[in-house]
Amino acid sequence: MLSCDELERYHRQIMLFGEAGQEKLKSARVVIAGAGGLGCPVATYLAVAGVGHLRIIDHDTVDRSNLNRQILHWDMDTGRAKTESAGKKLQAINPDIEIEEARVRINEETAPGLVRDTDAIVDAMDNYPTRYLLNHLACKFGIPLFHGAIRGFDGQVTTIIPGRTACLSCIFPKAPPKEIFPVIGVTAGIIGLIQANEVIKYLLGTGELLENRLLIWDGLHSILEEINVERDQSCIECSQLQSDPMEKVK
Amino acid sequence: MIVRIKAFARFREIIGSENTLDLDEGTPVLGALKNLSAGSKDFRDACFDREGTIASHVVLMINGKRISGRDRESMVLHDGDELAIFPPVAGG
Repeated sequence: MLSCDELERYHRQIMLFGEAGQEKLKSARVVIAGAGGLGCPVATYLAVAGVGHLRIIDHDTVDRSNLNRQILHWDMDTGRAKTESAGKKLQAINPDIEIEEARVRINEETAPGLVRDTDAIVDAMDNYPTRYLLNHLACKFGIPLFHGAIRGFDGQVTTIIPGRTACLSCIFPKAPPKEIFPVIGVTAGIIGLIQANEVIKYLLGTGELLENRLLIWDGLHSILEEINVERDQSCIECSQLQSDPMEKVK
Repeated sequence: MIVRIKAFARFREIIGSENTLDLDEGTPVLGALKNLSAGSKDFRDACFDREGTIASHVVLMINGKRISGRDRESMVLHDGDELAIFPPVAGG
């Protein structure tokens, strides 16, 4: 049940998808893996949209070199845990939602407990080993994974529905080399907001998701292109999953 | 034969978004990319590993269809083909 304050706060979007849609957002639990360049815009826009429970995971502290893109962290936050810095801002932006700060490193031991009870996993990481771990758990638990990655003025984003779409290992069987990547904040903003938009559509059950479509953003030329991707029948992560999740229901 | 090269992300920065190559009939994917790397060390460093094979993370497509597996380097190109090259990005 939405409160009077919530009805007022979300009035303009309730015009779009009704109180029933807002209730869906309110009852949703979303985990955001990473409170960095991508995690900050994703978390901000899911918070203002009224997603009821956001779990923000990051083990790191705020460094001054983060501030060109990690918009929830301000100069005064340097040295503070990213989860605390982000959590305080998000709670101030929207006091009606629950923010859970998980200051922990994502690894094989911690990750299952962090994602298992959620409706959506947002990949806001900066490395492929952790992304592959999130993808593994998304496939194992049947939770959608919203992938985004950036470098410089370039970005990529797709939505993975286990059993229905190509998973991260199908699309990128081999990780690119690790690097200290150059980046401009707007790239993180653009890709992060597409991820947030995908999460909101998924939770509402509306629109068309980026299923089997890898969106590629070229900020230098202002071009958004799409590559079709498909499931790898020999994928170690998802080839055993049923092709149509609805078959489980029948 | 004429083959169009469509580059994304870092590759686009190095060689531009679209190039056409005039290649001998039967040139494989590896040959086309070596041709491009002959004129650009940056392209060679970004596209190939130390052993001179196409870096495993680089995504390749011919006419919009993903090509993968060990034999992707030896796949033969045909006149009018479009070879797309995309390096996934990793940052967040």
